[in-house]
Amino acid sequence: MYYFPQLSSGATGQFPITRQRSARTVINQSCQGYQVKLADPAAAVTAWHLSFEEIDDQELAALEALFQSVEGRLTPFTFLDPVDNLLAWSEQQEQAVWQADPLLTLAGGVPDPMGGTAAYQVGNPTAATLMLQQAIDAPASLDYCLSLYACSDQSTQVWLVRGSATAAQAIGPQWTRLTSAGQLPDSAGSISFGIALDPGATVNVFGIQAEAQTTASIYKQTSETGGVYPNARFRDDTLTITTVGPSRYSCELDIVNVEYL
Amino acid sequence: MFPTLKTGAAMQYPAKRTLQFNTDTIRFLDGTEQRFRENPSVLHRWTIQLDLLDESELATLDQFFVSDQGRFGSFSFTDPWDGTVYPNCSLAADTFGFQLKAEMRGKTTLTVCQNRT
Repeated sequence: MYYFPQLSSGATGQFPITRQRSARTVINQSCQGYQVKLADPAAAVTAWHLSFEEIDDQELAALEALFQSVEGRLTPFTFLDPVDNLLAWSEQQEQAVWQADPLLTLAGGVPDPMGGTAAYQVGNPTAATLMLQQAIDAPASLDYCLSLYACSDQSTQVWLVRGSATAAQAIGPQWTRLTSAGQLPDSAGSISFGIALDPGATVNVFGIQAEAQTTASIYKQTSETGGVYPNARFRDDTLTITTVGPSRYSCELDIVNVEYL
Repeated sequence: MFPTLKTGAAMQYPAKRTLQFNTDTIRFLDGTEQRFRENPSVLHRWTIQLDLLDESELATLDQFFVSDQGRFGSFSFTDPWDGTVYPNCSLAADTFGFQLKAEMRGKTTLTVCQNRT
């Protein structure tokens, strides 16, 4: 399994980052301007333009190693979008991508800290610890940051689950953004993110976000796809690197994710 | 419903609105012309240039593009000039891109067009 490497800072990209999504719609238009449309979701393309400045020998070696391993645009690799939430359905925890332990209760439509009603009330009526988590197909060994907003009428704690790492964080009646970040000594090809609740605990949760970086950025809502692209490729067969000094390199590259390939 | 920014606005300056008719012209040998109305009414089009967006606002627009599948979907759009609600509009392009220059420094452009109903 090939994957796009992180920089030594833990980031996947540097600013500026450009991302473009393309869809395909077939349109039949009459003389009067009326239209009949047909969508072609399988033809969707997502593309990124990444610019790297001041990267060092080690970072460059990782980039070059990937480029040589995948032989330019020939072979796909996993790309973790640096400007997106890796988790799908971030505001719909009842979707199938979320694995809720049996007996864990979920109730939507709860007021959220952004002024909407997209938060969930998660309750654990049992005598055991229960979890709500989502697994993504990405290397567990990378730097990740899990973040979420949580509050509870009772003074309690919520466990943030980031792969094999769990951390308890205290919450109260005010919305608080909790984070859990770091790198795990785990070579698995997938990693799970979520929460765990102590017996009897009930918490309100909003904006669960996982990012392939060391700190949390602004919460980004997602729907059916998160920021994990297992079918990404280099757009070009060439990788040009500029050496600006000893152990100082820069390069620009384009990555595309095409589902139908 | 087209998403609004955190300010509640749908557009930023400079904002562009286009009115489009579709007239067919037949020109005769003597130079005179006869003109026909191809479409029954005017169609509106808005070019929305957005700058200094944060990642959350960009994600909202991105999700809107994904759920609408580009030009395929339709939605209602409120004209910021006069508050008129146009119930059947679509994105004008099958592409949506943005550039993030730094944190909370996102930039993008969208075009919304009114559909014939």
